[in-house]
Amino acid sequence: MSNATSYPTPALTETNRPLLESWREGRLMLQHCTDCGHTFFFPRPFCPGCWSADLQWREHSGRATVVAFTRIHRHVHESFRAEIPTVLAEIALEAGPSMLARCVPSDELRVGGSVRLVGAADAQRYPLPTFACD
Amino acid sequence: MSVHQVGIIGYGTARYDKRPRQTLYGYLAEAARAALASGGVHKNEIDGLSVDAVNFAPDNAVTASEAFGISISWSEISTSGGAGALTNVANAVRAVESGLAKYVLCLAGGAQDVAMFHQRISRFNSAISDYLTPHGFGGMPGIFALVQQKHMLQFGTTREQFGKLAVDFRINAQHNENALLRGPMSLDDYLNAPLIAEPLRLFDCVLPCAGAEAILVGPLDRAAAGKGVRLLAARERHNHVPGEIAPVRGGWEAFRDELYQQAGYAAREMDFVQVYDDFPVMAAMQLEDLGFCPKGEVGHFIDNNRFTFDGTLPVNTGGGQLSCGQAGGSAGLISVVEAVRQLRNEGGGRQVANARRGLVSGFGMISYGRGLASSAAILESHA
Repeated sequence: MSNATSYPTPALTETNRPLLESWREGRLMLQHCTDCGHTFFFPRPFCPGCWSADLQWREHSGRATVVAFTRIHRHVHESFRAEIPTVLAEIALEAGPSMLARCVPSDELRVGGSVRLVGAADAQRYPLPTFACD
Repeated sequence: MSVHQVGIIGYGTARYDKRPRQTLYGYLAEAARAALASGGVHKNEIDGLSVDAVNFAPDNAVTASEAFGISISWSEISTSGGAGALTNVANAVRAVESGLAKYVLCLAGGAQDVAMFHQRISRFNSAISDYLTPHGFGGMPGIFALVQQKHMLQFGTTREQFGKLAVDFRINAQHNENALLRGPMSLDDYLNAPLIAEPLRLFDCVLPCAGAEAILVGPLDRAAAGKGVRLLAARERHNHVPGEIAPVRGGWEAFRDELYQQAGYAAREMDFVQVYDDFPVMAAMQLEDLGFCPKGEVGHFIDNNRFTFDGTLPVNTGGGQLSCGQAGGSAGLISVVEAVRQLRNEGGGRQVANARRGLVSGFGMISYGRGLASSAAILESHA
């Protein structure tokens, strides 16, 4: 197991600060447009649906359904190589938007299956919201 | 000048390498010299320049004019990656048609190897560097593995079917001395290659490399008999449909009808197709979205066709990127260059018999889970 600090990390900006800071506690926060009601990912300074800048961060359960996933055997960044295969999945969040996220490898992983956020303790390891089979 | 008096009058390719043997400008100049020789045009006649090249910024088409020692009245830099070089050519034709320039050189290239490419894709754009690289997304194969898995699940397409595309392209490459990968490859070789990102294996993934391509645009009356190529129609479409992740469709479907309508031909009237084949699944999707078969039926279409230069539908007659390598921006122009080569009857051992017109398509600007950019054009030999 490599430690969290060896992974590449996102640039912390005013736009994504609530996402990254809440994730350090294992919580998932997403932007919600108070004008058109759109919930979206990845973070932006305005709503891609209506261009409104009136956005609110809301906490979500992190429950999601797997749309597609791949076990990655060759990595471009060396910090992942000791853990191959790692899993990248497209997941549809209950909260609405889909996102690409890392999942903890499991034989239970399947398209249409349920995933949830890894626990707060494990969240420390991963720079972005990461999921595991229910 | 009216439409169709302007077209492509020359082309050139710089020899591809697995590791750069010269600088990016060196590759661009090698392709440019070949294009001028092919068109019989002198360097000082060039008054327009476009560039689609990786690791080129902060240089641009204007600083390139300084490097090439030419004074230009029109310039363009690609903004849409592997879809942009084709669009540069279309815009060059429009620029010459409207009198903004007379001879435009469209250059595309890259001076990279696999290690340099890996450095680059971790920071390809802000969405990738902030929201994919920290997950260990596996580079482009990680994204296209998801796309292929969805295509297989939704439509029943098989690895054998995607593999047939790669195998047929490799047969074409055996007649292209510039292809970096031109040894024989069987379907078994393809199916049993090392795993990269399931279900993708090694021969699903394009090889990043170094090289360059060039297209010369100008008045068609400057071309020798049978050596001019007309651009009948060209379109681009980006971020189609907004917000989709790993979609099994691309922007081509949005402009396909307009493209064929303007060209005055249907897909079945194309003598060959040159698609952007960074992965076989993307080549397959372009065949669907550009109307060679209905959406979701490319598996059957692949079963019922041969895509070699002498096959039922010649596709990527020089071997495509999957055989030649992906030399940065070249990957978006190799399709146009190979099409022009075919339409000038200069295809050598891979010449498509009686090639009169063909379709070329581009794809690129990988971002959050997909390629955002798509383009296509229809070219015809100028009788």
